[in-house]
Amino acid sequence: MKEVIAVIRMNKMNQTKKALTDAGIAAFFAHEAWGRGKGLVNAAVAAGAAQGYQEAAEVLGNKGKLFAKRLVTAVVPDDKVDTVVKTLIAANQTGNAGDGKIFVLPMGDAIRVRTGETGNCAVE
Amino acid sequence: MLIMIRSIVRPEKADDVMAALMDAGFPAATKMAVAGRGKQRGIKIGEVTYDEIPKMMIMTVVADKDKDFVVKTIVDAARTGKGNFGDGKIFVAPVDEMHTISSGVKEIDLSSVGEARP
Repeated sequence: MKEVIAVIRMNKMNQTKKALTDAGIAAFFAHEAWGRGKGLVNAAVAAGAAQGYQEAAEVLGNKGKLFAKRLVTAVVPDDKVDTVVKTLIAANQTGNAGDGKIFVLPMGDAIRVRTGETGNCAVE
Repeated sequence: MLIMIRSIVRPEKADDVMAALMDAGFPAATKMAVAGRGKQRGIKIGEVTYDEIPKMMIMTVVADKDKDFVVKTIVDAARTGKGNFGDGKIFVAPVDEMHTISSGVKEIDLSSVGEARP
């Protein structure tokens, strides 16, 4: 069982929901988040904002160089990890920097609260 | 080997932690607003008990070799220095795979994440 965490663009949420449902992964949850990648912010703009240039500050906004993102988390059995990753990439890829990242983490166990089932059958 | 570091810090310290990570050469991070409590069971101010306190969770993924350095960077930035409760916790978890959506590439090392773009 794996936990798939994806950081995606906010405006891709609807496509992602539809793509995941079509791929048979109906269960996931989403979070609002802010983030940055490996230096997407232009260093010259950041330096300009530090020196108090109005235009640079407007580009960066008041959120301190962070971009609004959605964090999508799905817990899936091992054999569905590739499907989820491929679906997420297909739904979110624009080819530009800022599309996001997908992390796959090991998950020890899962329990369905309604029935008390554990293991893979709780997430299938 | 990739490591995910999730740190729960005071909201007013989140910007300091983000700045410290940027200065340390680990710009990639995600933060989100969370609410929770620690083993002090919330906070009691006068007659009012707050059993869920707002915090910020900062999530970053680094290479195994950088783990200790990044944890130390976060601790130094997030600590209020007075031994106060509520400074937060840091959780470290292994990451099996990482994919970059824009290129569809499965990353096998973190050389591209651990350095700021020039």
